[in-house]
Amino acid sequence: MSTLTALMALLFFPGGLIILLVGLAYEWADRKLVARFQNRIGPRWFQPLADIVKLLAKEEVVPQGVHPGLFVTLPVIALSGALTAALYVPVFGLAPSYSFSGDLIVTVYLLSLLTLCTGLAGANTLNRFSLIGATRTLTQLFSYEAPFLLALLGPALAAGSWRISAIADYGADRWLILAQPVGFVVALIGLMGKLELPPFDAPEAETEIVAGALTEYSGRGLALFRLGKGVELVVGLTLVAAFYLGGVANPIAFFAKTLALLGVLAGLQSLLARLRIDQTVGLWWRYGTILALVQFLILIVWKGLAA
Amino acid sequence: MTLKLDQSWQAALDKLKTWARINSPWAIHFNSGSCNGCDIEILATLTPRYDVERLGIKLQGSPRHADVLICTGPVTRQARDRLVRIYEQMPEPKFVIAVGSCALSGGAFRGCYNILGGVDQVIPVDVYVPGCPPRPEAIIDGVVKLLAKLRGADPSDTPVVFDPDSAGEAAILAGEDPVEGPAHAQQEEEAIA
Repeated sequence: MSTLTALMALLFFPGGLIILLVGLAYEWADRKLVARFQNRIGPRWFQPLADIVKLLAKEEVVPQGVHPGLFVTLPVIALSGALTAALYVPVFGLAPSYSFSGDLIVTVYLLSLLTLCTGLAGANTLNRFSLIGATRTLTQLFSYEAPFLLALLGPALAAGSWRISAIADYGADRWLILAQPVGFVVALIGLMGKLELPPFDAPEAETEIVAGALTEYSGRGLALFRLGKGVELVVGLTLVAAFYLGGVANPIAFFAKTLALLGVLAGLQSLLARLRIDQTVGLWWRYGTILALVQFLILIVWKGLAA
Repeated sequence: MTLKLDQSWQAALDKLKTWARINSPWAIHFNSGSCNGCDIEILATLTPRYDVERLGIKLQGSPRHADVLICTGPVTRQARDRLVRIYEQMPEPKFVIAVGSCALSGGAFRGCYNILGGVDQVIPVDVYVPGCPPRPEAIIDGVVKLLAKLRGADPSDTPVVFDPDSAGEAAILAGEDPVEGPAHAQQEEEAIA
């Protein structure tokens, strides 16, 4: 692939600009659905875009006591990690722009970059709320990351490949949600933990710790973190839909399946109250990981018997 | 580092910025010594019944994320430094709405030894919302007047928000008081229900 097409893929389509806009649209759909579940009218369709443009046009305050270089670059790294992850997953039902053996692991780590940067951004400031938020963000990272990875490895094991496109092709023929229901639930709830959606929003609990790790961020930095979260929402939904819901072979299937998943996420968000951070850790390690491991074991035994 | 742009591009960019600011006012709420009456009305404004998220208004915890400081109560000597600090923590451009009689002038507490007076004694205020306490409709109207000011329009020209059938204008034409008039109040209840 020439440099020009690679740049196009990275900056415009399917990565870059388009996925940023789709991320904003999905954020709107999420907010609107939650509002409707709460018997409200909800935001207008351009609301996330207006939020981002306003934040980008605002002054960025660099508080005292931070490392200015880190303060400025962390949001950029977070967003670029999420955008790079979009190149390896079949967004919009197209084949991934890049593919190599083991890109599943790379994608999962690229998706964690946003959380890591959020944690570092919180630890970078002297603000006590940021510090508590950063601690909680990183604690939550350690609690959901293992089960989420295990839940994505289930289909990988069934397909016998670590390449996302190969797993997606394998998943396109059969609905793996029927064969691996536990993996699907763990992956979906892991995605909620990753995006810090309720009930896993203890890291940014505005009723306790102001705004968590991003308390000191204003303007551009906050806008980039929010954009990164939108992209991660799309990428995560794509991964789960491609692996468990019979693949995303064309754009219609992509939007139908990811939006259906988003509806489930929004329903869970408005249904459940916030968990304490120790409850979050307990939930993931006592139930999520154990159940995912049991299913993993059954898969291995099944594979061994079939072979 | 400022980028010099062509005149028309600059105008378009300013227009986009103003549009975004008008459609996404994030608020932070500060009580500088209020009796909590106005604070409860502000919380009522944020409930699903009024659903200010459809106007893009969101309550933020951190002053760094906020555009609009909604301030209630007279400024006590104790709260003065905190109010100034919160105001200075907000990034530009920032706006202040003073809610309630006390925030306007000190209200019932005016002249007390521990009171400095209204919010405008300490920080610049953009919009005043009178009332003891003001109704949620009045608070939303205050925000809308602020947004009209941002747009460059005369704030006194803005229509009443919770008045889809322009009952307020009809009341004025009929010689009734648009706020206290019985016809308006009834219409309002219907509009909300």
